[in-house]
Amino acid sequence: MIPFCLAIYRRLARAFPHEFQMVYGADVVQLGEDVIEEIARKHGIFGLLRLVADLAWRVPMEYLSEMRKDLIYAVRMLFKSPGIAMAAVLSLGLGIGVPTAGFSFINVLLLRDLPGAKDPKRLLTTELPTSYVHFERYRDHRELFSGVTAYVQQVPFSVAIGGRPERVFGQLVSPEYFEVIGLRAMVGQTDGLVVSERFWKERLNADRDAVGRMLRVNGHAVTIAGVGPKDFQGAQPEVGADLFVPMAMQAELVPDLGENALHQSDLKAFDVLMRLEPGVTEKSANAAVETIARQLDGEGFDADRKQKAQHVRLLPGGTATPMPPEIKAILFGLLGTLMAMILGISCTNLANILLARAAGRRKEIAIRLAVGASRFRLIRQLLAESLLLALAGAAAGFVFAYWLMGAATTMLRKFVARQVPLNIDLRPDGHVLLFTFALAAIAGLGFGLAPALAATKTDFTPALKNGALTQLRGYRRLGLRNLLMVFQVAGSLMVLVITGFIVLGVPAKQRHVTFDTSNLYLMSIDPVRDGYSPDQTAALFEKLRERLRSAPTMENAAFADGPPENLFAASTAFTVRSLGGEPAKVVESVSKAMASANYFATLRVKVASGREFSVRDEQNGSTGSQPAIISATAAEQMFGSANPIGRRIVNEKDSFEVVGVVPDLTSRGFGGKSSPAVWVPFTKRAYSRPLEGGVTLMVRAASGGDAISEIRHEIAAIDPNLNMFHVRTMREDLDVWNDLIQSAGTVYAGFGIFGLILASVGLAGVTAYSVAQRRKEIGIRMALGAKPGQVLRLVMKESAAMVLAGSALGFLGAWAGVQLLATLSPDLAESLHGKQPLLLIGAPLLLGTLAMLACYFPARRSTAIDPLIALRQE
Amino acid sequence: MAKRNPDGFLPLKTNWFHIMLSLTGQEQHGYGIMNEVLERTNGKVRLWPATLYGTLKRLIEEELIEESDERPAAELDDARRRYYRLTKLGRRVLAAECERLEELVGVLRSKRRLEAI
Repeated sequence: MIPFCLAIYRRLARAFPHEFQMVYGADVVQLGEDVIEEIARKHGIFGLLRLVADLAWRVPMEYLSEMRKDLIYAVRMLFKSPGIAMAAVLSLGLGIGVPTAGFSFINVLLLRDLPGAKDPKRLLTTELPTSYVHFERYRDHRELFSGVTAYVQQVPFSVAIGGRPERVFGQLVSPEYFEVIGLRAMVGQTDGLVVSERFWKERLNADRDAVGRMLRVNGHAVTIAGVGPKDFQGAQPEVGADLFVPMAMQAELVPDLGENALHQSDLKAFDVLMRLEPGVTEKSANAAVETIARQLDGEGFDADRKQKAQHVRLLPGGTATPMPPEIKAILFGLLGTLMAMILGISCTNLANILLARAAGRRKEIAIRLAVGASRFRLIRQLLAESLLLALAGAAAGFVFAYWLMGAATTMLRKFVARQVPLNIDLRPDGHVLLFTFALAAIAGLGFGLAPALAATKTDFTPALKNGALTQLRGYRRLGLRNLLMVFQVAGSLMVLVITGFIVLGVPAKQRHVTFDTSNLYLMSIDPVRDGYSPDQTAALFEKLRERLRSAPTMENAAFADGPPENLFAASTAFTVRSLGGEPAKVVESVSKAMASANYFATLRVKVASGREFSVRDEQNGSTGSQPAIISATAAEQMFGSANPIGRRIVNEKDSFEVVGVVPDLTSRGFGGKSSPAVWVPFTKRAYSRPLEGGVTLMVRAASGGDAISEIRHEIAAIDPNLNMFHVRTMREDLDVWNDLIQSAGTVYAGFGIFGLILASVGLAGVTAYSVAQRRKEIGIRMALGAKPGQVLRLVMKESAAMVLAGSALGFLGAWAGVQLLATLSPDLAESLHGKQPLLLIGAPLLLGTLAMLACYFPARRSTAIDPLIALRQE
Repeated sequence: MAKRNPDGFLPLKTNWFHIMLSLTGQEQHGYGIMNEVLERTNGKVRLWPATLYGTLKRLIEEELIEESDERPAAELDDARRRYYRLTKLGRRVLAAECERLEELVGVLRSKRRLEAI
């Protein structure tokens, strides 16, 4: 037993850090040998174990204490050269921050499981929504699926809790919904109307007695059966669902399912979620479902499906965002490559900075090696510095990413919230934090190791002679690094020009309207969802318009299917009927909107020729000839200089007679063109089904005063249960889009600056390294009479060559990029007319100046070289 | 190095205290320190080898003890061993620690006396 313990003891003692081993290693072993027998005698086996354990404990402690010293030393060294530390942290902060933001995005979109789902790997979903008929057939295959459910997502409901109704988004679900996902109600049960936990907390005050209470949904009283599980916002939760309404509820309650929707095999509105039976693979399930779909389509339900090779495709359904694997791969690949490139560039910068530093510290390192420090120890010391830099960079990067994604989330929510409440938070979470620090570790270790190895490889005898070069390295040694720098300059010039192109084009993408936006208010109502029939809806609008127009503080009111110059307006093609001999002409991408009488009067837009819609146009919902009003641009594109009044245009199956021409409602700055627009009257036909975004009510108030509460009051006077949502001023409506464009411009500008910083830091690092490498040569030159200016020129010449080569390369790339962008977005190019030379000359100048400045500061050090010291180096 | 305040080291860690105590008035090698501590505490405190040398290293770094270059009389000398002794700072720190402990014991005693009454 004793010899065995002694053998372990000796081996362990050899594991001490080099320095400790040198001084105390022998003593520790000796003392152990001296006392082991006595200990065995006195304490037996436990004493021996204790002896070995003591050693085993002290070994890592010694390493830790060394590491602590390394870190303290590293902090001190970094504070000694704060400029280099700042440059490194900045470069790494950006280099880590951008991939972190990218990973945060991937994390939210691709990696998260459906909250609360049981065994999410066994869930599948169909790639495209399908019909209820298809769903029922899939459900019958018990040998494949232990459960199948269908749901319709993003369904707006008008919900009233006590007071006035609000618009709440939810899902229409088949009875198996909760069971298939594997969820239980938090309160009550899932058989019936279920509200989400969020809704329960925010609207029902988390009251346990809420279950069993009545909720007015779409004008009908429904009993709340239960509260959904924590954090559950429906399958595909980006659009948060707060209500889960069984499809079996009466049709009036769910107007979306009117017209016998459950029996129409061509109504593909149902998302299907299926849980695989144990042992069934995704592939075999897909094959079986495919067969079913083919059978169904063979029965003649769906003729156009035959065209496609594959009828149904199943995707993993247990993630928050179901996505085909190949798209996932592309997203991963694309973002991954981009992230790796950015990280790679900033890591190369870090390596360059560290190399330059190590070159300057050659003497310190040589002395430490000479007095007996192990190479391993010195490498650890240098690694501690690079790790410290990387950690600081990671912290900066994470903060940057958090800020960036926070801003993106706010922007996205604000923008999309007009249509649906977006339930998405792109801000990095704990997983992303881990990822960030993993990146930092890779950056710190990977790109600190090479410089550390290179620095400690010094054959220290000549190095001790006051830091002389062991070997004058030729330019070829710098070849790869120089090439990298050339590409970096080229790349950042391309980024700068292309982003500059986009940023300068921002005003062109913003919406500028020609009509008067003062005192103009917009709000949405959705009477069909509040239980109104088409006739009742028409009557309601008639009454509402009368009341609003007769109110003393209101000037005018009108309805439309969206706000003026709606970004989401349907774009379609119109055919112009020929007059006489000319052939029919088709005008593409015309925005088509429905408008009520007084629409243009409310906008204070003067009809250029003809007339605007009257109340009679609205009531005349028959198939006969319908009137249409066209914008000036549409008139020009359709009829040229001919008089459009009385001419006929055809869209799909409907024929319209042009009764009026109005000026364009938008103006794109810098002489750009507006897109053509056509308005058709808002008729009863539009009310048979709920419009997706409801009906937009547009009111022009006389001036001042609280117009919104006035309007609310008027609407409540007609029907207090009418849901009114999305209330805003016309100005706000425009600003949301313009802000988005503006902030997109800011992001692009940020990318441009990011490229500039990376390239500048990189150039500074390379120049500093080259100066450090050529100290001796420079010293000799100075001793032989070279002036500081000449030396400076010598060093700068090399950097200038890189900047020039990079700029030339980048200029070509940028030119190609700009041409491509110009074809993709003609209005961008148009708005930039006359500014292109400025950009194509200004950007290289800016980059060149910054780059040369970045080289100048390290290069200036070369002039500080004392030829006396440099000559003593031999 | 600037003069350091002995109070900054108080209270001393047990191991530190025992090692420094065994170095008062004499120089000692590691084995000797270990044995003395063992005897002084009736076998209650054993400084295990690796802990002993780890602590000696820390004490040297803190400049409380130093390696001695004087050797004892030839017949007592074990040539393989290194001897350690207290530094000036070490003596002051030890004195300060002893004073602190005495005060503590004094407080304890007077409290006991009070209780006894």
